[in-house]
Amino acid sequence: MWHWEANPLNGPAVLGMVIGGVVILILTLLVVMYSIYWQRKLIGWIQWRIGPNRVGPFGLLQTAADVIKLLIKEDVVPEKADRAMFLLAPIIAFVPAFTVLAAIPFSAHHVFTANISIGALFYVALSAITIHGVMLGAWASNNKYSLIGGMRSAAQLISYEIPLGLSIVGVVLMAGSINLNDIVEAQAKSGLWYVIPQILGFIVFMIASTAELSRTPFDLPEAESELVAGYHTEYSGFRFAFFMLTEYVYLFAMAGLFATLYLGGWSGPLLPGWLWFAIKAFLYISFQFWLQATMPRMRVDQLMSFSWKVLLPLALVNIVITAVVKAFV
Amino acid sequence: MTFFLNAPMIGFYIIALFILGCAVMLLSFQRVIYMALAIGGVFIGCAAIYILLGADFVGVAQLLIYAGAITILIMFAIMLTNHEAADPPHKWTVRNILSAVAAVLLGAVLLLVIRSTTWPPEVEADVNGGNSNPVAVGLALFQNYTVPFELVSLLLIVGMVGAVILARERKEDEEE
Repeated sequence: MWHWEANPLNGPAVLGMVIGGVVILILTLLVVMYSIYWQRKLIGWIQWRIGPNRVGPFGLLQTAADVIKLLIKEDVVPEKADRAMFLLAPIIAFVPAFTVLAAIPFSAHHVFTANISIGALFYVALSAITIHGVMLGAWASNNKYSLIGGMRSAAQLISYEIPLGLSIVGVVLMAGSINLNDIVEAQAKSGLWYVIPQILGFIVFMIASTAELSRTPFDLPEAESELVAGYHTEYSGFRFAFFMLTEYVYLFAMAGLFATLYLGGWSGPLLPGWLWFAIKAFLYISFQFWLQATMPRMRVDQLMSFSWKVLLPLALVNIVITAVVKAFV
Repeated sequence: MTFFLNAPMIGFYIIALFILGCAVMLLSFQRVIYMALAIGGVFIGCAAIYILLGADFVGVAQLLIYAGAITILIMFAIMLTNHEAADPPHKWTVRNILSAVAAVLLGAVLLLVIRSTTWPPEVEADVNGGNSNPVAVGLALFQNYTVPFELVSLLLIVGMVGAVILARERKEDEEE
């Protein structure tokens, strides 16, 4: 078994890391491609439609066709936009989205997983950097819908990051480690996935992570009916594709974090680890699409008070209960 | 001290170059929003240095608090307030000269302190004492430095309450 951290940083190790990065990138692009397909198909079925079925068998190549369309579109930069910032923003948004995948344990053998001692915190800290890309892109577009969308997005992401982080603390307390690999192993050893003892934290996590992903019912930053498309109104072609890619990579990463923290990651009977991980991540992603087809959008004045007055106290109560149980029972 | 080109050393030079580059850009940009982005780069570079030194927790906290929260706060302040988009051209005033002198003095003091500190001789000294990094930080905070830790949190609360009171008084003035 190969361990990144146990080996010295030399030529072959660097080469291994690069190969690992490329493999994960290809895997991620595939997952993103088919989560978009699955989203359209599932929502289609829920709404009594067929969904994409023209490009390739069962429409399986629909997303690829869409991506090619975006790639060969003209790359428009608005005349009044801040050019340098406009071009840089999608990159700033995407890089952290892909980097957080380094901490997610995909399989039992940690082939491409960094064994970082602060894995869960690493995820929360890096996902905060994406807000910069969103805000700068919104500001650089020089468009009022973009700016309002960007501001909403930043305010929402910052506010919901706190209940999200605090709901993770409950799991960390139970496992006694912030290392995601250790958290999975602690669950595998106790034979009880944390979704049961941490049910309160789990509920907070589900709501806060939906808001972090800006998905329905928290898709206010992209509310089409009031903001055109929010922060990426002015973006087109490849750069727009980058923002969309960021969104779906986060969906995958959040599904991985969810599976790791609450459903025991790769651990499970009979099936191999990577398959268990895939099933759990698929559950989360499908749940998000189901929500999207079911829920109306929240009002903007309810959004903040819901985070600070409902989710945050719930997360704190969860931490106190977990700590008391852990210390005295 | 050995200056062999081993991997951590190369990493350090790359990160240091990145930090200094961002710092120089921060000083040379004319537009305030670019400066905010450059200072974000400086914070991320500092976090990378912490992680390189084996202080994972401090590095990620730096990323979360400085690169995440504080840079966004700066951006919000720039985007939502009325101000000149670019800095006025530079002039040597008394205040600027005094600031320059103070900056040079601060640099000298920092250099003195760094030079007079006895660093651990072994390069591979384990700062974490055999524990994983967050455990080591936790033990240090709650065993050796409990009182300073509590005092710092008190200071933060006082600062927060102060900010709330300042913001509140201004609102009441507007209503009258």
